[in-house]
Amino acid sequence: MSNNTIVENLKKEIENFSLKTKAEKIGHVVEVFDGIAKVSGLSDVKSSEMVTFVGGEVGVVLNLEEDTVGIIILGEFSKIKEGDEVRSTGRILEIPVSNNQIGRVLNALGNPIDGKGEVKSDKNYPIEKVAPGVVTRQGVDQPVSTGIKAIDALIPVGRGQRELIIGDRQTGKTAIAIDAILNQKGQDMICVYVSIGQKDSKLRKIQTRLEEGGAMDYTIIVSAGSSEPAALSYIAPYAGVAIAESFMDQGKDVLIVYDDLSKHAVAYREISLLLRRPPGREAYPGDVFYLHSRLLERACRRNKDYGGGSITALPIIETQAGDLSAYIPTNVISITDGQIFLETDLFYKGVRPAVNVGFSVSRVGGSAQIKAMKKVAGTLKLDLAQFRELEAFAQFGSDLDDATKNQLERGKRAVELLKQPQYAPVLTQHQVVSLYALVKGYMDTVPVDQIKAFETGLIEYAEAHAKTFIKEVVEKKMWSDDGEAQLKKAIEDFKVSFIK
Amino acid sequence: MATLSHNDIAQAIYMASKDKKGHELSDIVHSTVKFLAKKRLISKSESILNKLEKFSNKEDGILIAKIVSVKYLGEDSKKDIASILKQKYNAKKVLFEEVEDKTVLGGVKIEVENEIIDLTIFNKLKKLQEHLTR
Repeated sequence: MSNNTIVENLKKEIENFSLKTKAEKIGHVVEVFDGIAKVSGLSDVKSSEMVTFVGGEVGVVLNLEEDTVGIIILGEFSKIKEGDEVRSTGRILEIPVSNNQIGRVLNALGNPIDGKGEVKSDKNYPIEKVAPGVVTRQGVDQPVSTGIKAIDALIPVGRGQRELIIGDRQTGKTAIAIDAILNQKGQDMICVYVSIGQKDSKLRKIQTRLEEGGAMDYTIIVSAGSSEPAALSYIAPYAGVAIAESFMDQGKDVLIVYDDLSKHAVAYREISLLLRRPPGREAYPGDVFYLHSRLLERACRRNKDYGGGSITALPIIETQAGDLSAYIPTNVISITDGQIFLETDLFYKGVRPAVNVGFSVSRVGGSAQIKAMKKVAGTLKLDLAQFRELEAFAQFGSDLDDATKNQLERGKRAVELLKQPQYAPVLTQHQVVSLYALVKGYMDTVPVDQIKAFETGLIEYAEAHAKTFIKEVVEKKMWSDDGEAQLKKAIEDFKVSFIK
Repeated sequence: MATLSHNDIAQAIYMASKDKKGHELSDIVHSTVKFLAKKRLISKSESILNKLEKFSNKEDGILIAKIVSVKYLGEDSKKDIASILKQKYNAKKVLFEEVEDKTVLGGVKIEVENEIIDLTIFNKLKKLQEHLTR
């Protein structure tokens, strides 16, 4: 663009610029501390309204008191001083949204932080919004395929569901979420990963991993790092879901991961205590339940009349020493439609993903499972639960009857089959093949330490020799008698060659 | 018992002392001080007095306007501003509090209670900047 055109454009813009003078509501800063400002004046300000400070800093009104309002400052607050003017905007805090945000890393205010330049956006979405009502919703009946055998078979997640991932530190919570995002490739799903109070090194690692897996083509990362003020951690998940809603409004399916909500609750506790709200249990404020319920309620599946689209939420909660009955875990368990419970003991036994099948549940996902998967996974969960019980019992070493022994052997193989390395999602049709071989007893004679090799070989063999079965599962979501017979033959043939 | 806010107290003092003169008024002042001492609110008297001033100004139709400009305004412009403000805020009398500030560059900024009418060059330039960078 030549200099002249730039000047011309500027001239035009300046000519178009009209200034409307009107009386604005203002206030004055009474005190500032720890990212909180108490401001006098601002008589007509609403709760959650956005205000601006002299230096351009943005704040959100949280407390409305008789003489002052309590404002959380989003970002740098060291330049704000007593007596500074504060102007209200009349708008609820909103963030820019656009399809150009895909593949980018944003902060909690929707601005890019990955050094790849500005993101052009034409729309703003409010971060606080009432969740879609009953009339606009539809039941959950489409699966979200995570590519993790233990989850897709036993604790299925449907589009529009909220499934909690809970466990101690270092049990693979984030790994499950990342695997789920990686597996969405080609599944017509937009992913939003909200990182709350995480180390920047961890975020970078995740970003690199997603880039390597080609997942950044459909993923947006929203981050409020641990070095940023608590106010940003507090709004990050709401910003994430606002971005997700902008895609849902286009009729798309969105998967959103909140990593993690324990840190979100801690950030909110910090803000609340600084605002002198009365502390309750574990010093959390009284509305910490509402904090998470209003966030997770925005995950939904909308019916066709209202534009379709869905938001599936995978919130993550970190427990302390496996204590599920602490305040925040019980709250979020009761809000969500099920939980995936990860256990340290299992993790160190080598069962990875360390899903505790007994404590994990999916309250709505069952109806979202494809028929073929439902058929093979039907009894697996019960078998595994019984196996855990028998396993403890069998440790006393007494003689066991054949039925119990068989059950134990089957259980061992099931556990072995559900083990899966990180970043190695398995296609649904392949999961069906291997689980079919397990539940029909074909694996009972395969030694436990060779289950892995058997599975890999079997899938390869079935791809070549049970094409009908696989095609039927992919297209019709269920096999026919012919397909089943073909698979049975393929398994038997493969087993003969494998055991040799 | 619900806590008494400074606003409530200021309002009560105003109501009690309204249209009172001489002996009666000094009685009321006396009992007010006694009340504040009993409620341990003497240390808060400054804030209560501020509230009382605001409240009485509002009741009497007095408006205090802060004017920020590069140079002090002439009497004529002040009269004009006063008449506009009287109309806008339904006031009987307007008192001015003037501030000289070179940073506003030009124009005038009028602050009334917690509303502001910003007609300064500085504000216009800032708005233009926002418009151009959007």
